Amino acid sequence: MEQDAKIYVAGHRGMVGSAIMRKLQKEGYHNIITTTSTELDLRNQQDVLKFFQVQKPAYVFLAAAKVGGILANDTYPAEFIRDNLSIELNVIDAAYKSGVKKLLLLGSSCIYPRMCPQPMKEEHLLTGTLEPTNEWYALAKICGVKLCQAYNRQYGTRFISCMPTNLYGPGDNYHLQNSHVLPALIRKFDDAKNTGAQKVHVWGTGQVKREFLHVDDLADACLFLMDNYEGEAPINVGWGKDISISNLAKLVQEAIGFDGQITYDISKPDGTPQKLLDTTLINSLGWHPQITLQEGLRQTIESYRDQKETLRR
Amino acid sequence: MKLLIALMLYTGLAFGLERNAKIFVTSQTDMVGSAIVRQLKNRGYDNLLISSPNELDLLDQKAVLQFFEATKPNYVFLTSAKDRQLGSTYGNKTSPAEALSYNLSVQLNVIDAAYRSKVKKLLFISSPSIYPRICSKTIKEDDYLTGPIEPTLEWSGLAKIAGIKLCQAYNLQYGTRFISCVPANFYGPNDDYQEQYYPDLLALIDIMDEAKKTSQPSITIPGTGRANQEFTHIEDVADACIFLMKKYEGNQPVNIGWGRGPSIKELAISLVYYMTIFPHVDYDTSRPDGSPSRVLDSTLINSLGWYPKHTIDTNLFPLIQSYLKQKESL
Repeated sequence: MEQDAKIYVAGHRGMVGSAIMRKLQKEGYHNIITTTSTELDLRNQQDVLKFFQVQKPAYVFLAAAKVGGILANDTYPAEFIRDNLSIELNVIDAAYKSGVKKLLLLGSSCIYPRMCPQPMKEEHLLTGTLEPTNEWYALAKICGVKLCQAYNRQYGTRFISCMPTNLYGPGDNYHLQNSHVLPALIRKFDDAKNTGAQKVHVWGTGQVKREFLHVDDLADACLFLMDNYEGEAPINVGWGKDISISNLAKLVQEAIGFDGQITYDISKPDGTPQKLLDTTLINSLGWHPQITLQEGLRQTIESYRDQKETLRR
Repeated sequence: MKLLIALMLYTGLAFGLERNAKIFVTSQTDMVGSAIVRQLKNRGYDNLLISSPNELDLLDQKAVLQFFEATKPNYVFLTSAKDRQLGSTYGNKTSPAEALSYNLSVQLNVIDAAYRSKVKKLLFISSPSIYPRICSKTIKEDDYLTGPIEPTLEWSGLAKIAGIKLCQAYNLQYGTRFISCVPANFYGPNDDYQEQYYPDLLALIDIMDEAKKTSQPSITIPGTGRANQEFTHIEDVADACIFLMKKYEGNQPVNIGWGRGPSIKELAISLVYYMTIFPHVDYDTSRPDGSPSRVLDSTLINSLGWYPKHTIDTNLFPLIQSYLKQKESL
């Protein structure tokens, strides 16, 4: 990407999109365009095509998506599949028709099958049943990945896609009901510290293992891939190693400075025993993540407290 | 009483698809769409919405919504106008982007417009390409997404999976009645006879035709002759579609077909008869069977009370004639 290239970040207000924005600005890119959902509804075919034909961006980061937890997926299945499919169809087709040089679609590791062998490799896509709790979102994302491949094959475009692992960092969702495990732990430990509670209850046995990547590392990988990856397969972006929930809880406890006890509520479900991406491909291209979990947690807790402070005011 | 029930069934009163209902068949040029229109007309449905591709571009989100809001159809048969082109192995190979995005866009536009304009019921017609490449002997409805799909049909196959999932998601969230079906491999008049839709059969006709022309005393068919292929007549597919529109309310797709098929050996015997040649037939078991056997399990639709009527055997003679004629002209 040339420094003055016109870059469109779709979904710049989301957790991933805003991290990509920070990274682009830090790297000195100065011709970035963004749209809010009121300015441009990405689900509207005609408007999206018009936008691309007028703006003619050279590079596109497609980070716009309807996202949410298990509860949201369960309550709004039609919106999850329709909105995500329309965004992908509209943006990818408009990018092709307006001559975009390169596009990066942000996927998710949830596109891999429920019983996927670990660590999950790029070729495991579509080899088995999807996780039913987010199948609507997952199927739409799979279609997005395949749309990129199909356009490349038929029209010679350069549309790539990447599959990030569980992300954390600024802009995350700390909602009690539908947040992911890491932000949920931060909130629980922080609340416990503030209220002087003696114990923090962690869901499940604490034995299952998950992988976590700081969203700034993902943004770094996105820029790297835009410059260095031309492959057809979606490329995994992860830390490369996983951590048990109990060890993660200890790290969060330490970073928050909570002195009480951790208990495990084994009446709550654990989910799959392990979720780890195989990152051999991106590592072989020369990319490695930089932000350790300890360092990332420290930053994230800081931004969580700021976020809370702003809300209070 | 029996007469009354028969009358209600006949007029469609009992299960919907009322005789005066406004029915939209999304395409009337493809085999399935045109067969459905033909049968609806034959049964006296005269409130059919006809739109040519020139009048309504199904890829245009806004135009589709406007069409639905202006015409307010009650029932929709969602067929793909380009099934034999984009849904074929050739279409998937040469036009992957279209095979995926054409189907996805049309499905998305029609299903969303149907929901917004309060369509009573919609039937999405999918295809066997949704099923994994390697499947149980007869393929059941819940086999899709359990393994990699056939790579030569992956683009249209994925789109057709998304169509089923769209229907299910709308039903779950909005309480719509959008059902889907999977017709087995089908054949019919005016086809363009692509190898994949007549697995092993065209090759067999070719062998027989050659033997007849050169008066060969014997022919050799590769493989054991025991592989089965399913051949469903297009009129049976259309009949089942109308049947499902009246009777089925489930979220799972429903297979349409015989649930079995003739073996190569049985086909060969029929061909010998219809082509009036009497060679000695050998099977070269050292060579592999042709296309892998793909038969859809039809237990579900049978349990609802539907069975196919047209056997391949009774349709073989016109099929041979028409295929050979087309081959000659090329």
